[in-house]
Amino acid sequence: MKILTTVKKVVDVELNMHVRDGAIVQEGLQYVMNAWDENAVEVSVQLKENHNAETTLVSIGGGEDNTKIIRRAFAMGIKNAVQIDDPALAEADSFVYARVLQKVYEKGNYDLVITGKQAQDTDNGQTGIILAEYLGLPCVSNVIAIEVMDDQHIKVSRLGDSGTEIVELTLPAVVTVDVAINVPRLPQTRGIMMAKKMPIDVMDLAALGTSHDEVGGGGPKSKIVEFIAPETRKTGRKFEGDAAEITAQVVGLLANEAKVL
Amino acid sequence: MAKVLVIADIKQGVLKGSTSQLLSKARAIGAETAVVAMGHHIESLIPGLVNAGSDVQYVADDPGLELFSAGPYASCVVDAARQFGANLIWFGFSESGKAVAPRVAAQLDVACATDITDVMLQADQIEVIRPAITNKVLQRIKIHTGQLVAVVRAGAFEATEGISGTENIVRLSPPATDLKAVIRQILSEAGGEIDLADANIVVSVGRGAKDQAGIDLVKELANDLKAGFGSTRAMVDAGFIPHYKQVGQTGKIVAPTLYMAIGISGAIQHLAGMKGSKVILAVNKDPEAPIFNVADYGIVGDLFEVVPILREEIRKIRS
Repeated sequence: MKILTTVKKVVDVELNMHVRDGAIVQEGLQYVMNAWDENAVEVSVQLKENHNAETTLVSIGGGEDNTKIIRRAFAMGIKNAVQIDDPALAEADSFVYARVLQKVYEKGNYDLVITGKQAQDTDNGQTGIILAEYLGLPCVSNVIAIEVMDDQHIKVSRLGDSGTEIVELTLPAVVTVDVAINVPRLPQTRGIMMAKKMPIDVMDLAALGTSHDEVGGGGPKSKIVEFIAPETRKTGRKFEGDAAEITAQVVGLLANEAKVL
Repeated sequence: MAKVLVIADIKQGVLKGSTSQLLSKARAIGAETAVVAMGHHIESLIPGLVNAGSDVQYVADDPGLELFSAGPYASCVVDAARQFGANLIWFGFSESGKAVAPRVAAQLDVACATDITDVMLQADQIEVIRPAITNKVLQRIKIHTGQLVAVVRAGAFEATEGISGTENIVRLSPPATDLKAVIRQILSEAGGEIDLADANIVVSVGRGAKDQAGIDLVKELANDLKAGFGSTRAMVDAGFIPHYKQVGQTGKIVAPTLYMAIGISGAIQHLAGMKGSKVILAVNKDPEAPIFNVADYGIVGDLFEVVPILREEIRKIRS
């Protein structure tokens, strides 16, 4: 089984974020591997360990931070990596990413594409699903378990609206995974050392056999016009002291002031 | 004139509140409205679709649609969108909506925005507002395609009282079965529980409850209030609470009238799932817990002591 796993560099959401003049203030930001993609890497490595799957990672973006997250995926156990680094993709949306990933997929003859269900920097949750549409492949999103049935079939569990949905997929297929699927391993020293020497296949769009226009970069379907700082909730009242007294007081306020009881 | 197609939010045979909320918003912006409903044996829901404020009802009632499957559902939405000539296609906030919306957008080759909290129309120009980066920023997005597929965040739009549509039923032909992604079964949530997404009051329990006895105590409070019962990632990971009860960025996003956070410290992932609630009450032992920064009312105290008093006081005030 050949697996293609997508990994995205995202801003570290644990850090504070500030908005100035309609843009996110860049100073002090740090970049990490998208959390859901860590789960995608982990499940791919598990499929390698348990089913001899061949693992290839793809990441779109450049710079040191991007190299760092690819090396992290190597240290977790991924064997091959393709990096699409092209300045023309700086403002790519989900549809453009999906077109680029389509090109990568078509070069590799993969059986299974595994992506995180969304990226922490946009929280869009679209790219994997759109990729499946472009490829004409079956797709299940929000997956929390993958079981290999045979060479051509996998059974996946998905968190749906009414419970856990059990779906049998015919390969090739695309799945997008939720954090509930596993706990990603921490890279070990030996893996980290080895990861430093592993080659990354870096390509721009031309090397991938495509162009900015062909992947739809010239006419994005939507564009972020500005970032806005969300209204913070007014800090309310905090009551300390005798439990019976303050609880009675708060219940009174919920009923008479907030009128929600 | 804008034409809004709302995807009926049907869960276990019941039409959910988001349907009327989205249709109310569509009418408020002066749009023509239609709804598309998919499932099996859903005939009895049609009057509800009309009452929710739709003027056209596209109905796909087929055995193949009994269990949710993103492919066939997307085909029905695309079919209805084309017939209606919709320029806005709105899903309520649900896992099925999040799975189907990008497919519909890809098939129609139009823009897609998930999690929107507002939409602005000016002439032919569509703009939306949506949170990103775990709710730390809002994005204002300009849509370049004349059509938009969107998933609307829970609680973003309010239902208007007393609106109603007109009955005008259009039957959709059943879509092809997705032979490559076959839904085998749905391991259902326990029946009879109050749905988190619809609940007026949500009571959530966090790590402060320590064990099953603590959880049961908080659950009794939820039962008293006929509230939805939720929890946090930590409690789900610890195996105390099933996944579908997790409130937060990676779980359910809720916006009830009253949210009670009991023994929850307030990690940003959890806050992202409940910050839109109208009123928030927090009970926590630690006066420095971040949950107090978003709570309208905070009780600093041990939940094992506070919750029984809370139940008693609520009983008193309600009787």
